[in-house]
Amino acid sequence: MNLSTHRTDIDPRPGQAPTAAAPAIEVVGLERRYGDFHAVRGISFDVHPGEVFALLGVNGAGKTSALEVLEGLAAASAGSVRVLGHDPRRDRAAVRRYLGVLLQHSGLPGDLTVRETVHTWARTLTDPRPVAEALEQVDLAGRADIRVRSLSGGERRRLDLAMALLGRPRVVVLDEPTTGLDPESRRAVWGIVRNLVDGGAAVVLTTHHLEEAEELADRIAILQAGLVVLSGTPEEISATQPATIRFTVPEGAPPLPSLAGVRVERTAHQVELSTFALQPTLTQLMTWAGEHDLELTGLQARAASLEQAFLAVADGALPTAA
Amino acid sequence: MTTTRSAIEHTSPPHLGSGGRARRRVLALAAAETRLLLRNRTAVMSSLLLPLAVVAAVGAITVSNGGTVDGPGLLASAFGVTLTFLTFYNLVTTFVARREELVLQRMRTGELTDAEVLLGTAVPTLLVSLVQVVLVAVGVVALGYWSAPVDVVLPLVALLGGGALMVVLAAVSTSFTRTVEGAQFTTMPLVLTATMLSGLLIPLADFPEQLARVARFLPLTPVIELSRLGLVGETWDGQAVDTAGAWAASPLPLAVLAGWLVTGAVLARLVFRWAPRR
Repeated sequence: MNLSTHRTDIDPRPGQAPTAAAPAIEVVGLERRYGDFHAVRGISFDVHPGEVFALLGVNGAGKTSALEVLEGLAAASAGSVRVLGHDPRRDRAAVRRYLGVLLQHSGLPGDLTVRETVHTWARTLTDPRPVAEALEQVDLAGRADIRVRSLSGGERRRLDLAMALLGRPRVVVLDEPTTGLDPESRRAVWGIVRNLVDGGAAVVLTTHHLEEAEELADRIAILQAGLVVLSGTPEEISATQPATIRFTVPEGAPPLPSLAGVRVERTAHQVELSTFALQPTLTQLMTWAGEHDLELTGLQARAASLEQAFLAVADGALPTAA
Repeated sequence: MTTTRSAIEHTSPPHLGSGGRARRRVLALAAAETRLLLRNRTAVMSSLLLPLAVVAAVGAITVSNGGTVDGPGLLASAFGVTLTFLTFYNLVTTFVARREELVLQRMRTGELTDAEVLLGTAVPTLLVSLVQVVLVAVGVVALGYWSAPVDVVLPLVALLGGGALMVVLAAVSTSFTRTVEGAQFTTMPLVLTATMLSGLLIPLADFPEQLARVARFLPLTPVIELSRLGLVGETWDGQAVDTAGAWAASPLPLAVLAGWLVTGAVLARLVFRWAPRR
């Protein structure tokens, strides 16, 4: 099921029409092989200016392998990748200036201070932001004279982010930007990402945190074993999974009404209904309960979450999308 | 598509040429690397002391064997010793350390080109090497062992070409060096052939002629040969020459040096790894 055609229906950010501009990133049929291992098996997606695109998937699904091609650090085994209209590897010089990259793992010499590190990086860039401003943005201004060796894991991650964004990038690739951050810093990073897209940047990120994708992403692709098995807006992806209704039926209640297209699971008095039509099913259920004057204790009705969709993919419960 | 393409082309700042921007990027990285080196006192001391000690030992052995100290010859030896024990060894360990710390991979995510990353990282080592050679030269002059060289261009070519060669050969060597400690072993092939078969410690003239002819094609030999041609006025097989004679004897070592530079650069491009093996 390919949901990406519904993209124009999603709410665009106020004052922007992301789908109108040319895509900042175009990935078509991307594959990566390491010897016999097929890490990425033909994935395609576009990311437009002013848009956040999230790649989700369990470890080893191929997220980082795919991003390495966007970053220009690795060659595609097949397919094509364009960043701002250029091949990020062959036309590296044309692309790099506009590309901000946060690698999943990267290092810094421990014996330079935070300020020296950012200052050095700024001198390698064409149009860097002021160092003080960049440190302020990631809340490291107070740590500017500390050696990188002494930073905590979260501080180091924020320094990584400051460096990735130092050159005023128009295309930003963030590989697990918030891994290792405390909840407060994570929210701060979300704010930074929102500012980036409000300023017109195109952002691709990977994450393990589903609520992060739900919070930030305009569109999501779920990757499994190197293939995109689901893509669309968070709402569209959630809608691929049935909503659930749970309740307990009282002793001696009459049998449930017949509910078309609803899967019923029952253990003793506990009932769980799975339905793609939550409101009609709920109406039928309430009518039935009213007619028989029943009280359904512990009644819950819930639309599917992104997490459910993600877990369904991880369990292999979904047919793969073409 | 066309809109993004033209946007890229029109927003490049016109005030700096691409050469100026490249120089600024290399200098930025080189300055940071130099600062790192200066913060590591042990590294500074050992990189300066070890080669000086080797050169002093060469002089002392000559004297104890009843010979007289040959100043220009000692300087030629200093070129070779510095390039192998300091330049080459330091570069292998620095490149490997930066690779294993994931610093190289990060540098590649910015605007620095691959060559700029390697050059910027190598600059402090190359500077220390130069200081080293100058120290030996000053020492030789101060001790009164100096005599005017036959030619200065050939030794300068040897020193600069040798430095560049050490950068590319170190880059190649990192491909089979997994850890900084491992560099002690993986640098041995070059260090051993350089010290034994390049004419650095044992003159090629003392070798069986067949072996000496083969040894002339090893990577460090042309550096020593060109240095001795210019500084001492002596060919690989021990003939004394004047300036014209030195130049007449130079095409082969120049070609061998150029050949190794090209081979090394091509190999480095092929085998250099920017990230640790996973």
